Amino acid sequence: MGALSKKMLLGSAMALAVVAGSAGALMAQDKPVIATIVKISGIPWFDRMETGVKQFQKDNPDVVATQYGPATADAAQQLQIINDLVAKGVNGLAVVPMDPSVLEGTLKRAMDRGIIVVTHEADNQKNTHADVEAFDNADYGRALNKRLAECMGGKGKWTTFVGSVGSRTHMQWVGAGEENAKTHPDMVLVDKNNESFDDANGTYEKAKEILRKHPDIKGFQTSAGNDVLGVGRAIDEAGLSGKVCLVGTGLPNPSQDLLESGAITAIGFWDPQKAGMAMNAVAKSLIAGKKVEDGADLGVPGYEKVKVVKGPGEGVLIIGNGMVLADKANYKEYLF
Amino acid sequence: MRTTGGQLVMLVVINAALLAVGAMISGGTFLSPFNLQSMAGQLPEIGFLAIGVMLAMCAGNGGIDLSGIALANLSGVASAIIVASFLASTGNETVFSIAFIAVALVIGLVGGMFNGLLISRLNITPILCTLGTQMLFTGIAVVLSDGRAVAVGSPELLSAIGNGLFLGVPISFLVFIGAAGLVAALLKFTPFGLWLMLMGTNPKAATFAGFPKARVLIATYATSGLLAGLAGIIIAARNVNVKWDYGTSYLLIAILIAVMAGVRPEGGYGRVICVVMATIALQLMSSLLNFGGLSNFVRDFAWGALLLTFLAVGRYNLVGLLTPNKSEKLV
Repeated sequence: MGALSKKMLLGSAMALAVVAGSAGALMAQDKPVIATIVKISGIPWFDRMETGVKQFQKDNPDVVATQYGPATADAAQQLQIINDLVAKGVNGLAVVPMDPSVLEGTLKRAMDRGIIVVTHEADNQKNTHADVEAFDNADYGRALNKRLAECMGGKGKWTTFVGSVGSRTHMQWVGAGEENAKTHPDMVLVDKNNESFDDANGTYEKAKEILRKHPDIKGFQTSAGNDVLGVGRAIDEAGLSGKVCLVGTGLPNPSQDLLESGAITAIGFWDPQKAGMAMNAVAKSLIAGKKVEDGADLGVPGYEKVKVVKGPGEGVLIIGNGMVLADKANYKEYLF
Repeated sequence: MRTTGGQLVMLVVINAALLAVGAMISGGTFLSPFNLQSMAGQLPEIGFLAIGVMLAMCAGNGGIDLSGIALANLSGVASAIIVASFLASTGNETVFSIAFIAVALVIGLVGGMFNGLLISRLNITPILCTLGTQMLFTGIAVVLSDGRAVAVGSPELLSAIGNGLFLGVPISFLVFIGAAGLVAALLKFTPFGLWLMLMGTNPKAATFAGFPKARVLIATYATSGLLAGLAGIIIAARNVNVKWDYGTSYLLIAILIAVMAGVRPEGGYGRVICVVMATIALQLMSSLLNFGGLSNFVRDFAWGALLLTFLAVGRYNLVGLLTPNKSEKLV
């Protein structure tokens, strides 16, 4: 038994060292605790959101705001974090669901325990007190198209790209874009709704085909995050930078070069930093027992006058005006 | 079997230590009944899959079951679609729940038998076979559900399994302990259990001794499939909706648990009680790190370190290496 107990001792000592070494000190908190749980940690989008949560914490010393997220993109892992935090006893959850439907059961259990639940990017979530969306999808599509029309001078052939025709938000964006283009009778939509599947390379090939088929094309409106990169590269290689307009959803960091070269006219996105702050602001006022009324100011840029409508469940849908259109002149303010 | 009792004692010690550390850093809330219930409710999903992996490993000859979580998702998705097509969940809730459970178990069983048949009759290496069926099961689930989440709803009985307590213990945890007990009894008291372990220890001798090898293999993978079906039921009961890509990270965690529990990857040895204890240890550790507000990458790191520790302690006489007077026999 001597060797055995030594073995045990060694093994458990090692395991303990691992745990003790990595576990930080925990203190009892009197202030309301708001936990932000993102889809996955360690990617630029949610790192940017964390800067917002930290900023919120700095501005609101009367609450405790921290961000958590699973190391792998798996709804089951996100769910476990939420379960543990509920057991630990937080007052508010601000969740960006990996998969809204899979989280319904867990969020319901949290709400049953009196925890305030706020979600983001989940306008179909039933078990939530409030879902915060950065913008109205139709407004966003219209804004992208306005920028495109301005660049095209209101005339010429143009086309649209979507991630897939099954993607609801993308179809809403290009749909609103088409509506807006109708105010410019000289804008002609050709070969609309090309599917990119968010693959920059596939989009590049498809954009080259379109440039060959319509040598006189003047504009592209794209939807998925990588589309601007694919189409931008095709425009750049064809030597059409600055002659063909490209406006679409994209992130500042990867788009830098193409924005500089003029292949991308402008990119549209919403700032996860502001979304993180807005979610926490909503959670804080709901915990305090206040309601978020239509037209309220959340104290976050882009969310100064939010639209509040009834959500799919008991909760409300809070829609801000947090869209950002960045071009060569101002993208540097948003590098993430 | 020098690790036979040691592994269990070590796991118990680690669990106790984790609970103690948790109580210390959280000022007691870690041991609150609600958190204990929450953790007990979280672990059955992965526990079922880990027992399945253990059974496959025990069969030897590179036995492993990679299709567990895929089969669990398929059971949930397919059962929800099949049952909903002829029963409304708003109708008789108990009938709906029982039908859902029965169909999910059947799908799990059939999927597991399919694995067993491929491995025993066609002699496909288990790791390749179950990798293939994993994709097959996932594919079927995607096609059936159109890639979307499928609503199961929360009919009374299912909702009780997912959220209910019996004498303060989550019912899902009791189901898990019950199923684990049955598998343990199966291994200990039936000829099947003896054949499985002996076959895993020495497949050649098993052939010459005239063991019904194919039947044992099929039964092993069928049990593993049945456990995956149970995992699918628990997932559906807790989450209200089921989806084909749920728990993709479970695959490796289940293997991790099995190895931590001292199951021999070469086959022939494994104890259900150790797998249960290892599942609890991983759950405690994961919840502890979430309580401490640490990055989940730290958790992955800690799990990896724990796994390597167990492997090292189990396989080499590590203690002997560190205490020179006992190391003569090592080289």
